[in-house]
Amino acid sequence: MPRIVREAEISWEGTTARGSGVVVAVSSGAFELPVTLASRVADPGGKTSPEELLAAAHATCFVTSLGSELARAGTPPERLHVHCTITMDEVRGVGHRIVSSSIRARGVAPGADAASFAQAAEAADLGCPFSALIKGTATVTIDAMLDEGGS
Amino acid sequence: MADRTANVTWTGSLLDGGGTIERVGSGAFGPLEVTWASRAEEPEGRTSPEELIAAAHAACFSMALSHGLSQAGSPPERLETSATVTFVPGTGGSRR
Repeated sequence: MPRIVREAEISWEGTTARGSGVVVAVSSGAFELPVTLASRVADPGGKTSPEELLAAAHATCFVTSLGSELARAGTPPERLHVHCTITMDEVRGVGHRIVSSSIRARGVAPGADAASFAQAAEAADLGCPFSALIKGTATVTIDAMLDEGGS
Repeated sequence: MADRTANVTWTGSLLDGGGTIERVGSGAFGPLEVTWASRAEEPEGRTSPEELIAAAHAACFSMALSHGLSQAGSPPERLETSATVTFVPGTGGSRR
């Protein structure tokens, strides 16, 4: 696996409480998004936040890890779907921390059964660099099941 | 407490397949395409987990810096923050 370097930047105008910023994907140019404190701690109002960007990062990294593990087990997936919920909360005596990342994975992998899919998900969690990173302060939970409908 | 969500779908193999960040809870972005090649090699316009966390870190840090400056009695007019995230393959971990 290669070394990967990616860059992003934000311009912030004004105070934390009343100001706002625009976060830009510098390496790819794939997005340029407004953020405010209100959209972070209260109703998003259509704006993203660090927690949502982390949810997207963890979901994306986990889906590639799970696909790799299923392929290694001889049951490459046709389709995987991963949903991630990131929770930031105040930890008494410490301050605000990312406290949990909850992953829900569903997929179609011909030849896999419930046990082997769950095993692949467990291995994916161990191998996923973002799971490892997030476990610095948070609990990572994985709920993985084959799609019974096969769709 | 703040909960934030994202949905990603992947179709096919790691190297030949591809994924889509379909939607996020706020609706602020998506669909965004992702592939292994655009993550590990040239982005070619596609984002990646490393870029997303660079964006998350830059955004969180700028809010924290703005807050600290305000608390010190010198609220900022404008801050520019960039984050560069580097991923290096490990020698341990799950490789079995």
